[in-house]
Amino acid sequence: MNGPFYKYGMFNEEISLIVAFVIGIGFGFFLERAGFGSGRKLAAQFYFTDMSVLKVMFSAIVTAMLGVFFLSWMGFLDLSLVYVNPTFLLPQIAGGLLLGIGFVIGGYCPGTSAVACSTGRIDAMVYIGGIFAGIFLFGFVFPLFKDFYYSTPMGSITLPQLFNISYGTLVFTVVLMAVGAFVMAEWGEKKMAQKKGAEL
Amino acid sequence: MKWNIQWTLNKRLAATALCLGFLALIAGNPHEGGRYEIDSRELALIVDKEIDHVGALELADWIIQNKADYRLIDLRSEKEFNEYNIPTSENTTLTALETYPILRNEKIVLYSDGGIHSAQAWFLLRAKGYKGVYILRGGLEEWKDQILFPRIAENATKEELAAFERIKEISKFFGGTPQTGSNEAKSDVSIAMPKLEMKTPAKQGTTARKKKKEGC
Repeated sequence: MNGPFYKYGMFNEEISLIVAFVIGIGFGFFLERAGFGSGRKLAAQFYFTDMSVLKVMFSAIVTAMLGVFFLSWMGFLDLSLVYVNPTFLLPQIAGGLLLGIGFVIGGYCPGTSAVACSTGRIDAMVYIGGIFAGIFLFGFVFPLFKDFYYSTPMGSITLPQLFNISYGTLVFTVVLMAVGAFVMAEWGEKKMAQKKGAEL
Repeated sequence: MKWNIQWTLNKRLAATALCLGFLALIAGNPHEGGRYEIDSRELALIVDKEIDHVGALELADWIIQNKADYRLIDLRSEKEFNEYNIPTSENTTLTALETYPILRNEKIVLYSDGGIHSAQAWFLLRAKGYKGVYILRGGLEEWKDQILFPRIAENATKEELAAFERIKEISKFFGGTPQTGSNEAKSDVSIAMPKLEMKTPAKQGTTARKKKKEGC
Protein backbone atom coordinates (compact mmCIF):
# COMPACT_ATOMS: atom_id res chain seq x y z
CA MET A 1 0.00 0.00 0.00
CA ASN A 2 1.39 3.33 -1.03
CA GLY A 3 0.46 6.94 -0.59
CA PRO A 4 -0.59 9.45 -1.68
CA PHE A 5 -3.54 7.19 -2.53
CA TYR A 6 -5.00 9.45 -5.18
CA LYS A 7 -1.76 9.83 -7.12
CA TYR A 8 -1.13 6.12 -6.98
CA GLY A 9 -4.49 5.69 -8.66
CA MET A 10 -6.20 3.91 -5.74
CA PHE A 11 -9.35 5.89 -6.42
CA ASN A 12 -10.62 8.24 -9.06
CA GLU A 13 -11.51 11.90 -8.95
CA GLU A 14 -15.12 11.30 -7.86
CA ILE A 15 -14.07 9.20 -4.86
CA SER A 16 -11.41 11.78 -4.03
CA LEU A 17 -14.16 14.39 -3.72
CA ILE A 18 -16.07 12.16 -1.29
CA VAL A 19 -12.89 11.59 0.71
CA ALA A 20 -12.28 15.34 0.75
CA PHE A 21 -15.83 15.87 2.01
CA VAL A 22 -15.40 13.41 4.87
CA ILE A 23 -12.02 14.87 5.86
CA GLY A 24 -13.49 18.38 5.64
CA ILE A 25 -16.32 17.48 7.99
CA GLY A 26 -13.81 16.02 10.45
CA PHE A 27 -11.59 19.09 10.18
CA GLY A 28 -14.49 21.45 10.83
CA PHE A 29 -15.76 19.34 13.71
CA PHE A 30 -12.46 19.37 15.55
CA LEU A 31 -11.91 23.08 14.91
CA GLU A 32 -15.28 23.74 16.50
CA ARG A 33 -14.56 21.40 19.42
CA ALA A 34 -11.24 23.15 20.02
CA GLY A 35 -13.28 26.31 20.55
CA PHE A 36 -12.30 27.91 17.25
CA GLY A 37 -15.88 28.74 16.40
CA SER A 38 -15.66 31.76 18.65
CA GLY A 39 -14.13 35.02 17.48
CA ARG A 40 -13.48 36.01 21.10
CA LYS A 41 -11.40 32.94 21.77
CA LEU A 42 -9.48 33.37 18.54
CA ALA A 43 -8.78 37.04 19.15
CA ALA A 44 -7.73 36.30 22.76
CA GLN A 45 -4.42 34.91 21.51
CA PHE A 46 -3.42 38.34 20.27
CA TYR A 47 -3.87 39.66 23.82
CA PHE A 48 -1.93 36.66 25.21
CA THR A 49 -4.84 35.74 27.49
CA ASP A 50 -5.69 32.44 25.77
CA MET A 51 -3.11 30.76 23.58
CA SER A 52 -5.25 27.76 22.53
CA VAL A 53 -5.00 28.61 18.84
CA LEU A 54 -1.23 28.51 18.90
CA LYS A 55 -1.25 25.29 20.91
CA VAL A 56 -3.82 23.51 18.77
CA MET A 57 -2.19 24.56 15.52
CA PHE A 58 1.30 23.64 16.65
CA SER A 59 0.03 20.26 17.94
CA ALA A 60 -1.59 19.61 14.58
CA ILE A 61 1.56 20.60 12.71
CA VAL A 62 3.79 18.44 14.89
CA THR A 63 1.43 15.45 14.69
CA ALA A 64 1.11 15.69 10.91
CA MET A 65 4.82 16.29 10.45
CA LEU A 66 5.87 13.30 12.56
CA GLY A 67 3.23 11.16 10.83
CA VAL A 68 4.36 12.12 7.35
CA PHE A 69 8.03 11.73 8.22
CA PHE A 70 7.73 8.25 9.71
CA LEU A 71 5.21 7.00 7.16
CA SER A 72 7.51 8.01 4.33
CA TRP A 73 10.54 6.72 6.22
CA MET A 74 8.85 3.32 6.40
CA GLY A 75 8.07 3.54 2.70
CA PHE A 76 4.30 3.96 2.91
CA LEU A 77 4.30 7.46 1.54
CA ASP A 78 6.12 8.86 -1.46
CA LEU A 79 7.15 12.33 -0.32
CA SER A 80 8.15 13.35 -3.84
CA LEU A 81 4.48 13.14 -4.82
CA VAL A 82 3.16 15.29 -1.98
CA TYR A 83 2.22 18.64 -3.41
CA VAL A 84 4.30 21.58 -2.24
CA ASN A 85 2.94 25.04 -2.91
CA PRO A 86 5.37 27.10 -4.96
CA THR A 87 6.96 29.97 -3.06
CA PHE A 88 6.67 33.59 -4.18
CA LEU A 89 8.50 35.24 -1.30
CA LEU A 90 7.47 38.91 -1.29
CA PRO A 91 3.84 38.53 -2.36
CA GLN A 92 3.39 35.76 0.21
CA ILE A 93 4.84 37.91 3.00
CA ALA A 94 2.44 40.68 1.97
CA GLY A 95 -0.45 38.20 1.82
CA GLY A 96 0.47 36.79 5.22
CA LEU A 97 0.45 40.27 6.76
CA LEU A 98 -2.94 41.01 5.19
CA LEU A 99 -4.36 37.76 6.53
CA GLY A 100 -2.95 38.51 9.97
CA ILE A 101 -4.45 41.99 10.02
CA GLY A 102 -7.80 40.56 8.94
CA PHE A 103 -7.50 37.91 11.65
CA VAL A 104 -6.94 40.50 14.40
CA ILE A 105 -9.69 42.80 13.17
CA GLY A 106 -12.32 40.17 12.34
CA GLY A 107 -11.48 37.54 14.91
CA TYR A 108 -11.44 34.71 12.37
CA CYS A 109 -9.29 33.14 9.74
CA PRO A 110 -11.04 31.85 6.60
CA GLY A 111 -11.39 28.28 7.89
CA THR A 112 -12.64 29.17 11.35
CA SER A 113 -15.12 31.69 9.93
CA ALA A 114 -16.79 28.82 8.05
CA VAL A 115 -16.87 26.79 11.27
CA ALA A 116 -18.36 29.70 13.23
CA CYS A 117 -20.86 30.31 10.44
CA SER A 118 -22.18 26.76 10.75
CA THR A 119 -22.97 27.35 14.43
CA GLY A 120 -24.99 30.41 13.43
CA ARG A 121 -22.72 33.26 14.46
CA ILE A 122 -23.73 36.43 12.67
CA ASP A 123 -20.27 38.05 12.88
CA ALA A 124 -18.85 35.04 11.05
CA MET A 125 -21.49 35.35 8.31
CA VAL A 126 -20.54 38.99 7.80
CA TYR A 127 -16.89 37.89 7.75
CA ILE A 128 -17.61 35.32 5.03
CA GLY A 129 -19.50 37.97 3.08
CA GLY A 130 -16.34 40.05 3.33
CA ILE A 131 -14.21 37.18 2.06
CA PHE A 132 -16.37 36.78 -1.05
CA ALA A 133 -16.50 40.53 -1.68
CA GLY A 134 -12.71 40.58 -1.37
CA ILE A 135 -12.31 37.69 -3.78
CA PHE A 136 -14.46 39.40 -6.40
CA LEU A 137 -12.69 42.71 -5.92
CA PHE A 138 -9.32 41.00 -6.22
CA GLY A 139 -10.48 39.35 -9.44
CA PHE A 140 -11.25 42.73 -10.93
CA VAL A 141 -8.07 44.49 -9.89
CA PHE A 142 -5.78 41.49 -10.39
CA PRO A 143 -4.20 42.91 -13.60
CA LEU A 144 -2.82 45.79 -11.49
CA PHE A 145 -1.08 43.38 -9.10
CA LYS A 146 -0.11 40.74 -11.60
CA ASP A 147 3.60 41.60 -11.76
CA PHE A 148 3.90 41.68 -7.99
CA TYR A 149 1.81 38.50 -7.65
CA TYR A 150 4.34 36.50 -9.66
CA SER A 151 7.47 38.25 -8.37
CA THR A 152 10.32 36.61 -6.40
CA PRO A 153 9.42 33.04 -7.44
CA MET A 154 11.42 30.31 -5.72
CA GLY A 155 9.60 27.25 -7.03
CA SER A 156 8.33 24.40 -4.88
CA ILE A 157 11.12 24.67 -2.36
CA THR A 158 11.19 23.04 1.08
CA LEU A 159 13.14 24.11 4.17
CA PRO A 160 15.54 21.11 4.08
CA GLN A 161 16.41 22.07 0.49
CA LEU A 162 16.75 25.76 1.30
CA PHE A 163 19.01 25.31 4.33
CA ASN A 164 20.65 22.16 3.01
CA ILE A 165 19.86 20.16 6.15
CA SER A 166 18.36 16.71 6.54
CA TYR A 167 14.64 16.17 6.97
CA GLY A 168 15.28 14.70 10.41
CA THR A 169 17.08 17.82 11.60
CA LEU A 170 14.19 19.97 10.50
CA VAL A 171 11.64 17.68 12.15
CA PHE A 172 13.55 17.79 15.43
CA THR A 173 13.93 21.58 15.24
CA VAL A 174 10.21 22.09 14.66
CA VAL A 175 9.34 19.80 17.59
CA LEU A 176 11.71 21.82 19.80
CA MET A 177 10.11 25.05 18.57
CA ALA A 178 6.66 23.68 19.32
CA VAL A 179 7.54 22.54 22.85
CA GLY A 180 9.25 25.89 23.45
CA ALA A 181 6.16 27.73 22.19
CA PHE A 182 3.92 25.66 24.50
CA VAL A 183 6.04 26.50 27.53
CA MET A 184 6.11 30.19 26.58
CA ALA A 185 2.37 30.23 25.93
CA GLU A 186 1.51 28.69 29.30
CA TRP A 187 3.86 31.09 31.03
CA GLY A 188 2.32 34.05 29.16
CA GLU A 189 -1.21 32.95 30.01
CA LYS A 190 -0.31 32.74 33.71
CA LYS A 191 1.31 36.17 33.65
CA MET A 192 -1.70 37.73 31.96
CA ALA A 193 -4.07 36.06 34.41
CA GLN A 194 -2.02 37.46 37.34
CA LYS A 195 -2.04 40.92 35.77
CA LYS A 196 -5.79 40.73 35.32
CA GLY A 197 -6.18 39.58 38.94
CA ALA A 198 -4.02 42.48 40.13
CA GLU A 199 -6.09 44.97 38.15
CA LEU A 200 -9.37 43.74 39.62
CA MET B 1 8.44 5.29 37.84
CA LYS B 2 6.72 7.54 40.35
CA TRP B 3 7.63 10.76 38.51
CA ASN B 4 5.96 9.50 35.37
CA ILE B 5 2.52 9.29 36.95
CA GLN B 6 2.57 12.90 38.06
CA TRP B 7 2.96 14.14 34.49
CA THR B 8 -0.09 15.68 32.89
CA LEU B 9 -1.32 14.36 29.56
CA ASN B 10 0.09 17.44 27.83
CA LYS B 11 3.51 16.82 29.24
CA ARG B 12 3.43 13.19 28.17
CA LEU B 13 2.40 14.15 24.65
CA ALA B 14 5.16 16.73 24.48
CA ALA B 15 7.66 14.14 25.68
CA THR B 16 6.45 11.67 23.03
CA ALA B 17 6.79 14.31 20.33
CA LEU B 18 10.29 15.12 21.53
CA CYS B 19 11.27 11.45 21.48
CA LEU B 20 9.88 10.98 17.98
CA GLY B 21 11.58 14.18 16.87
CA PHE B 22 14.88 12.90 18.23
CA LEU B 23 14.33 9.58 16.45
CA ALA B 24 13.71 11.48 13.23
CA LEU B 25 17.04 13.22 13.73
CA ILE B 26 18.90 9.93 13.64
CA ALA B 27 16.54 7.96 11.40
CA GLY B 28 17.98 9.20 8.13
CA ASN B 29 16.16 10.53 5.12
CA PRO B 30 12.57 9.59 4.34
CA HIS B 31 11.54 7.73 1.24
CA GLU B 32 11.42 10.20 -1.61
CA GLY B 33 10.84 7.89 -4.49
CA GLY B 34 13.52 6.76 -6.91
CA ARG B 35 13.64 3.13 -5.75
CA TYR B 36 10.85 0.83 -6.69
CA GLU B 37 9.95 -2.79 -6.70
CA ILE B 38 8.71 -4.42 -9.86
CA ASP B 39 6.61 -7.47 -10.51
CA SER B 40 8.71 -8.86 -13.33
CA ARG B 41 6.26 -11.62 -14.15
CA GLU B 42 3.36 -9.20 -14.52
CA LEU B 43 5.42 -6.91 -16.74
CA ALA B 44 6.59 -9.82 -18.88
CA LEU B 45 3.02 -10.93 -19.35
CA ILE B 46 1.92 -7.49 -20.47
CA VAL B 47 4.79 -7.24 -22.94
CA ASP B 48 4.07 -10.73 -24.21
CA LYS B 49 0.41 -10.06 -24.88
CA GLU B 50 1.09 -6.63 -26.35
CA ILE B 51 -1.73 -5.08 -24.33
CA ASP B 52 0.52 -2.12 -23.73
CA HIS B 53 0.47 -1.11 -27.40
CA VAL B 54 -1.58 1.45 -29.22
CA GLY B 55 -1.61 1.30 -33.02
CA ALA B 56 -1.11 4.39 -35.18
CA LEU B 57 -4.63 4.13 -36.61
CA GLU B 58 -6.17 3.82 -33.18
CA LEU B 59 -4.29 6.87 -31.95
CA ALA B 60 -5.30 8.81 -35.08
CA ASP B 61 -8.93 7.98 -34.31
CA TRP B 62 -8.56 9.27 -30.77
CA ILE B 63 -7.09 12.54 -31.96
CA ILE B 64 -9.79 13.02 -34.59
CA GLN B 65 -12.48 12.34 -32.00
CA ASN B 66 -10.75 14.90 -29.77
CA LYS B 67 -10.53 12.40 -26.94
CA ALA B 68 -9.03 13.91 -23.81
CA ASP B 69 -8.72 10.91 -21.52
CA TYR B 70 -5.09 10.22 -22.36
CA ARG B 71 -1.82 12.11 -22.60
CA LEU B 72 0.47 11.69 -25.56
CA ILE B 73 4.12 12.09 -24.71
CA ASP B 74 6.88 12.65 -27.26
CA LEU B 75 10.23 11.44 -25.97
CA ARG B 76 12.40 12.86 -28.72
CA SER B 77 14.56 15.96 -28.44
CA GLU B 78 12.99 19.40 -28.36
CA LYS B 79 14.45 20.18 -31.79
CA GLU B 80 12.87 17.11 -33.37
CA PHE B 81 9.64 17.84 -31.55
CA ASN B 82 9.54 21.36 -32.99
CA GLU B 83 10.13 20.06 -36.49
CA TYR B 84 7.23 17.65 -36.36
CA ASN B 85 5.14 16.05 -33.67
CA ILE B 86 1.91 14.13 -33.53
CA PRO B 87 -0.94 16.54 -32.74
CA THR B 88 -1.87 16.80 -29.04
CA SER B 89 1.54 15.54 -27.92
CA GLU B 90 3.70 16.98 -25.16
CA ASN B 91 7.49 16.89 -25.24
CA THR B 92 9.79 15.61 -22.52
CA THR B 93 12.92 13.51 -22.37
CA LEU B 94 13.57 10.19 -20.70
CA THR B 95 15.48 11.78 -17.83
CA ALA B 96 13.00 14.62 -17.36
CA LEU B 97 10.17 12.09 -17.26
CA GLU B 98 11.09 11.46 -13.62
CA THR B 99 9.75 14.85 -12.60
CA TYR B 100 7.28 15.38 -15.44
CA PRO B 101 3.80 16.20 -14.08
CA ILE B 102 1.87 13.07 -14.95
CA LEU B 103 -0.32 11.18 -12.53
CA ARG B 104 -0.29 7.47 -11.83
CA ASN B 105 -3.94 7.12 -12.74
CA GLU B 106 -3.62 8.83 -16.10
CA LYS B 107 -3.59 7.05 -19.41
CA ILE B 108 -0.23 7.77 -20.96
CA VAL B 109 0.81 7.03 -24.53
CA LEU B 110 4.53 7.24 -25.25
CA TYR B 111 6.30 7.54 -28.57
CA SER B 112 9.76 8.14 -29.94
CA ASP B 113 11.30 7.63 -33.36
CA GLY B 114 11.24 3.88 -33.27
CA GLY B 115 10.12 1.81 -30.35
CA ILE B 116 13.19 1.55 -28.14
CA HIS B 117 13.10 4.81 -26.22
CA SER B 118 9.40 4.61 -25.55
CA ALA B 119 9.78 1.00 -24.41
CA GLN B 120 12.46 2.06 -21.95
CA ALA B 121 10.29 4.89 -20.68
CA TRP B 122 7.37 2.47 -20.45
CA PHE B 123 9.43 0.23 -18.20
CA LEU B 124 10.53 3.10 -15.98
CA LEU B 125 6.98 4.33 -15.54
CA ARG B 126 5.57 0.87 -14.92
CA ALA B 127 8.25 0.27 -12.30
CA LYS B 128 7.22 3.51 -10.61
CA GLY B 129 3.67 2.25 -10.34
CA TYR B 130 2.06 4.02 -13.27
CA LYS B 131 -0.74 1.75 -14.38
CA GLY B 132 -2.00 3.08 -17.70
CA VAL B 133 1.15 3.36 -19.78
CA TYR B 134 1.05 2.53 -23.49
CA ILE B 135 3.49 2.63 -26.38
CA LEU B 136 2.68 3.79 -29.84
CA ARG B 137 3.46 0.66 -31.84
CA GLY B 138 6.41 1.29 -34.14
CA GLY B 139 6.78 4.86 -32.93
CA LEU B 140 6.88 7.81 -35.28
CA GLU B 141 8.19 5.60 -38.11
CA GLU B 142 4.98 3.66 -38.18
CA TRP B 143 2.94 6.83 -37.78
CA LYS B 144 4.59 8.09 -40.97
CA ASP B 145 4.02 4.82 -42.81
CA GLN B 146 0.43 4.35 -41.78
CA ILE B 147 -0.95 7.85 -41.35
CA LEU B 148 1.14 10.49 -43.08
CA PHE B 149 2.30 8.62 -46.15
CA PRO B 150 0.14 5.53 -46.48
CA ARG B 151 0.69 3.48 -49.57
CA ILE B 152 -1.31 0.87 -51.40
CA ALA B 153 -0.16 -1.62 -53.95
CA GLU B 154 -1.55 -1.31 -57.48
CA ASN B 155 -2.87 -4.83 -57.43
CA ALA B 156 -4.87 -4.27 -54.24
CA THR B 157 -8.18 -6.03 -53.77
CA LYS B 158 -11.50 -4.22 -53.55
CA GLU B 159 -11.63 -4.52 -49.78
CA GLU B 160 -8.13 -3.15 -49.45
CA LEU B 161 -9.06 -0.22 -51.66
CA ALA B 162 -12.13 0.51 -49.59
CA ALA B 163 -10.09 0.46 -46.41
CA PHE B 164 -7.52 2.71 -48.04
CA GLU B 165 -10.16 5.31 -48.79
CA ARG B 166 -10.76 5.66 -45.08
CA ILE B 167 -7.06 5.84 -44.35
CA LYS B 168 -6.73 8.54 -46.99
CA GLU B 169 -9.27 10.63 -45.14
CA ILE B 170 -7.41 10.19 -41.88
CA SER B 171 -4.13 10.97 -43.58
CA LYS B 172 -5.50 14.19 -45.04
CA PHE B 173 -6.73 15.22 -41.60
CA PHE B 174 -3.15 15.09 -40.39
CA GLY B 175 -1.79 16.81 -43.49
CA GLY B 176 -0.28 13.66 -44.92
CA THR B 177 0.13 12.64 -48.54
CA PRO B 178 -1.34 9.23 -49.32
CA GLN B 179 0.24 7.49 -52.26
CA THR B 180 -1.05 4.92 -54.59
CA GLY B 181 0.94 2.30 -56.29
CA SER B 182 4.38 2.05 -57.63
CA ASN B 183 7.58 1.40 -55.77
CA GLU B 184 9.15 4.53 -57.20
CA ALA B 185 7.17 6.62 -54.77
CA LYS B 186 8.86 4.74 -51.97
CA SER B 187 12.25 6.14 -52.82
CA ASP B 188 10.88 9.62 -53.26
CA VAL B 189 12.58 11.56 -50.49
CA SER B 190 11.15 14.88 -51.55
CA ILE B 191 7.86 14.17 -49.78
CA ALA B 192 7.66 16.85 -47.18
CA MET B 193 6.56 16.34 -43.61
CA PRO B 194 3.34 18.15 -42.89
CA LYS B 195 3.70 21.66 -41.55
CA LEU B 196 3.17 22.14 -37.88
CA GLU B 197 0.17 24.37 -38.52
CA MET B 198 -1.63 21.07 -38.71
CA LYS B 199 -1.42 21.10 -34.95
CA THR B 200 -4.46 23.33 -34.65
CA PRO B 201 -6.86 20.60 -33.61
CA ALA B 202 -4.18 19.51 -31.20
CA LYS B 203 -3.76 22.90 -29.62
CA GLN B 204 -7.42 22.97 -28.74
CA GLY B 205 -7.09 19.59 -27.15
CA THR B 206 -4.24 20.58 -24.90
CA THR B 207 -5.76 23.82 -23.71
CA ALA B 208 -9.08 22.15 -23.08
CA ARG B 209 -7.40 19.79 -20.68
CA LYS B 210 -7.41 21.60 -17.39
CA LYS B 211 -4.40 21.41 -15.19
CA LYS B 212 -5.29 19.91 -11.87
CA LYS B 213 -5.22 22.43 -9.08
CA GLU B 214 -3.59 21.34 -5.89
CA GLY B 215 -2.94 22.77 -2.49
CA CYS B 216 -5.14 24.89 -0.28
